[in-house]
Amino acid sequence: MIKDLEQIKEFALQKIKEAESTDILEQIRVEFLGKKGKITEVLKKLGSLLPEERPKVGSIANEIKEIITNNIQKQYQIVLEKELQKKIEKEQIDITLPGRTYGNGHMHVINQVMNEITGIFIQMGFQVATGPEVETEYYNFESLNTPEDHPARDVHDTFYIKPGVVLRTHTSPVQMRVMEKTKPPVAVIVPGRVYRVDNDASHSPMFNQMEGLLVDEDVTFADLKGTLMYFVHKFFGEDTAVRFRPHYFPFTEPSAEMDISCTVCKGKGCRVCKHSGWLEILGCGMVHPKVFQYAGYDNEKYQGYAFGFGIDRMAMLKFAIPSINLLFDNNLKFLEQF
Amino acid sequence: MKISLNWLKEYCNFSVSVNELAERMTMLGLEIESIEEPGKEIENVFVGKILDIQPHPQADKLVVCKTDIGKGEPLQIICGAKNMKVGDKVPTAIDGAILPGGFRITRRKMRGIESFGMMCSGAELKVEEDSEGLLILHPDAPLGEDIKKVLGLDDVIFEIEITPNRGDWASYIGLARELSAYYDIPITLPQIKFSEIEKTASSISSVTIDCPDFCPRYAGRVIQNVKIAPSPDWLARKLISAGQRPINNIVDITNFVLLETGHPLHAFDFDKLNENRIVVRLAKEGEQIRTLDGELRTLNTSQMVIADAIKPQALAGIMGGADSEVDDNTVNVFLESAYFDPVSIRRTARFHNLLTEAAQHFQRGADPEMVTWAIDRATSLIQELAGGKVLKGILDEYPKKIQRKNVKLRYERTKKRIGIEIDKDFQRTIILKLGFSVKEENEKEVDFIVPSWRHDVSLEEDLIEEIARFYGYDKIPNTLPKIRQSGAVFDTAFKKVNDIRTLLVHKGLTECYSWTFSNPEIMQQLNFPENYLNMVVLQNPLSKNLSTMRTSIIPDLLTTAQKNHLEDTISIFEIGPVFLPTEQNLLPDEPQKLGILLSGSANPRLWCYNDRKQFDFFDLKGIVEDILNELYIPYRVEKSDFPLFHPGQSMKITNQNEELGIVGKLNPKIAHELEINENTYISELNLNKILCVTPKKKIYKTISEFPSTSRDLAILVDRSLPVSEIFSSLKSVGEGMLQKIELFDVYTGEQVPHDKKSVALGFTFCSNEKTLTDNEIDSVMKEIISTLQKKFNAHIR
Repeated sequence: MIKDLEQIKEFALQKIKEAESTDILEQIRVEFLGKKGKITEVLKKLGSLLPEERPKVGSIANEIKEIITNNIQKQYQIVLEKELQKKIEKEQIDITLPGRTYGNGHMHVINQVMNEITGIFIQMGFQVATGPEVETEYYNFESLNTPEDHPARDVHDTFYIKPGVVLRTHTSPVQMRVMEKTKPPVAVIVPGRVYRVDNDASHSPMFNQMEGLLVDEDVTFADLKGTLMYFVHKFFGEDTAVRFRPHYFPFTEPSAEMDISCTVCKGKGCRVCKHSGWLEILGCGMVHPKVFQYAGYDNEKYQGYAFGFGIDRMAMLKFAIPSINLLFDNNLKFLEQF
Repeated sequence: MKISLNWLKEYCNFSVSVNELAERMTMLGLEIESIEEPGKEIENVFVGKILDIQPHPQADKLVVCKTDIGKGEPLQIICGAKNMKVGDKVPTAIDGAILPGGFRITRRKMRGIESFGMMCSGAELKVEEDSEGLLILHPDAPLGEDIKKVLGLDDVIFEIEITPNRGDWASYIGLARELSAYYDIPITLPQIKFSEIEKTASSISSVTIDCPDFCPRYAGRVIQNVKIAPSPDWLARKLISAGQRPINNIVDITNFVLLETGHPLHAFDFDKLNENRIVVRLAKEGEQIRTLDGELRTLNTSQMVIADAIKPQALAGIMGGADSEVDDNTVNVFLESAYFDPVSIRRTARFHNLLTEAAQHFQRGADPEMVTWAIDRATSLIQELAGGKVLKGILDEYPKKIQRKNVKLRYERTKKRIGIEIDKDFQRTIILKLGFSVKEENEKEVDFIVPSWRHDVSLEEDLIEEIARFYGYDKIPNTLPKIRQSGAVFDTAFKKVNDIRTLLVHKGLTECYSWTFSNPEIMQQLNFPENYLNMVVLQNPLSKNLSTMRTSIIPDLLTTAQKNHLEDTISIFEIGPVFLPTEQNLLPDEPQKLGILLSGSANPRLWCYNDRKQFDFFDLKGIVEDILNELYIPYRVEKSDFPLFHPGQSMKITNQNEELGIVGKLNPKIAHELEINENTYISELNLNKILCVTPKKKIYKTISEFPSTSRDLAILVDRSLPVSEIFSSLKSVGEGMLQKIELFDVYTGEQVPHDKKSVALGFTFCSNEKTLTDNEIDSVMKEIISTLQKKFNAHIR
């Protein structure tokens, strides 16, 4: 019987050695160690032995059982390693294939820029205000110190709806609407569509502006300059030069226009900046006392600044878009670039 | 406005470079549009005199000239022009000369005969648009002189944009005044020199002002026996430098004085004035005048005319009349210099759409105290250039004296407004240099008298601007303000709308941005319901198809789909206002709407997608529901009958009977008409209404510790039964144990009768208190089955 066991052992170890897969090893385990396995079969016959032989044969059988188990385990590790290695080799993919996606969409470039700009001002402490696009002449002109016979109305090329009602020509009327709603301090920015009777390569009858208004007790022209410089540096980059030139707007005094160094030639002079090195991008000034009078603000106590600029122009400069008409043409080949 | 540097220097002789001057003007508020140096490129072109012209032996169209350029031997020059004769002086480019555009002139043979230069036309020197033949110079032009000097090309022309508040800048003297104040150089005004005869103007003429509010001041002079002739070269060149065309000496002088002083003048043919007198009055209703541009204009009683005893002879301050025009036969002249009310000029000029140079000057406010200086300056020039006898005295009617204003400056307010301490003396000196004078003053404040030409200054802030300008905006520091809020909130939708925009972009949609104009025809063509045709109408639209404001975004989306019809996939949206007129309000409602359009392939052509699925209704419904769910908005959907949509694939979204939006397939008939993909799906949501709905509350629900169990069920029901009814019928079943129902299949086809559909549902059961037993779940399933059988006659499959 001991002999039988030894034979079984040799046989098993040979088989284990030759096993090449974990499946075969499992079969071997069942074949030799399972409930109906060869070792078990032998042990079942233990009862036919003399009582004094039984312990010896039993312990040899257990020994062999252990040896087989250990060998299976060892071989299992080796085979498993090989198998995983094979699997890994089989699972090589071309990682340069494009990922599975329906693709992201594209926010319109105007709104991308609008978000960036509002973000800068909101971070500074401004809040967003909005107002109607069909507006009364009172808010669009009169309350902004631009009475009916004012020459400044000429530059606005207004769309008229009915007596006293126009399409707003700028976002400034929201200034008055905001000031009517609250006493100072006021700190708002106003993004929105505006309209002028103008349609050619560089003008669109509808375009977008951003207005800013700050009113408090100690707001100065220096604050205006500082705020706008901060904005330009955030939006166009720290290396952008800024200059303020005196200008005229009926609703601010003193008034200024702001230029930035040309984003194309960096101030050296090119076609985009008409060889001046500067790009005019913004109008601003200290709120005119007459505007405060309309708002019911005390001009002796409060001071404010206001500014306004074209969002489309900012987008065009930032992304080198050559014509404003591209912005409103809804050509997917354009929209999907941004 | 075009400004010649040479001319400007006649009034204020500053010696700074062109760049420094341009920079300075810019920083004073004079916007430089362009700087041109007309003669910059020209080299070696001189005044030559033609001594001889002979035919070219080898060419019919050429001649051989001998031209003297004042030095050396006369040059032999071959020329193709015909307009010159022996003795003419012409611009002559010698060997090595350079013309505008960089053209180099060299000695060369033309048909066998050598040519040692070129005689030039006006166009070749860029002093005329186009030329026929050579530019024949004035006989007095000095032989051999550099042509740039003779033609005034050694000049710099600034194109300056004048802001509407500074009418006083729109003249040479006005600009000189500003620069003289900055550079602290005195201003030089031209000498006025003429002689008057004994006879007085008032003895043969008179001025009457009937409307002093419209015309506070009117002055006239009579000059007899003038000789109408072309203007001398210097005068003509000056007008040309300003972009004007010389006419005759008298008219040119009035235009010249306008450029010089900013004060418009007018010359009448004195003999064409009935009774030789002037009446400034308002027009009679329906009265007519033929203006210098040949138009017959009908006037009304708010428009001011310069009339004689009988009829209007000029549209006051805007344009003269044709009947009293100065022409070649004019002998006696009545010269007008006046101050008109800016508003009246502006209204009349706009009425007739006649914004002439004169009107532009008067509407910005002329200088009432310049009236007599300007008329005398013109008189002096007329006598010099056209001869004539000046009758004694100015007919100067000034019924409504324009008082000079006074404005107070408190020195400390400058710092308060500008943000930097500026020395008191500096402040005071600047204002004085600008022509103001002191009425009263003390340590803290000055009361300044405003000069007659500064209509823009009436407040302390205006003075502070002057100080800031001269101090230099660039020297004012840049500081960051403390920014405070009052607590008032002005917009609640901006961020939420932007979140929706971002959500849609992340879902793969691309945002459009359209003009908000529309027109009623397109709305009718697209079969929109009647209420969409109630539109905001523009009085002055750019064109008929942009004549109203839109009431829906859908037409814009369809236009975009048409434009991009070659694309495989169109999945776009737009957010923006629509404009809805209301009965009760002056202004329309402007709700923000969201329009979405899906058309074509739902997935890209990519290696990992086997088929190109086309978009269907549920792609769009899913997007819309995701938006509403993201916002926690409770809503219901119902079938709808929006006429633009496919009648079988059209729904509306409501909350408490308020319609929030619509979703549907574009009606195939309309798709065919528009020639766009038939599989086009459209939604329009009213974001204002959606953002007004109270969102569902977000509250924590207990997560059960006990395992859940699932059971599936497939039933056959009528094909027309809305699945939503199955769901709502099971709402109260199961005493809280039924946690979730999934709809995992809907099938119609061969396997089921044609009027039935198979609906497969997955139920998940769970309790927070215990592990549910099979018996408990079985009894709920029984309840579900009997409910479905009873309500929908459902067959269990």
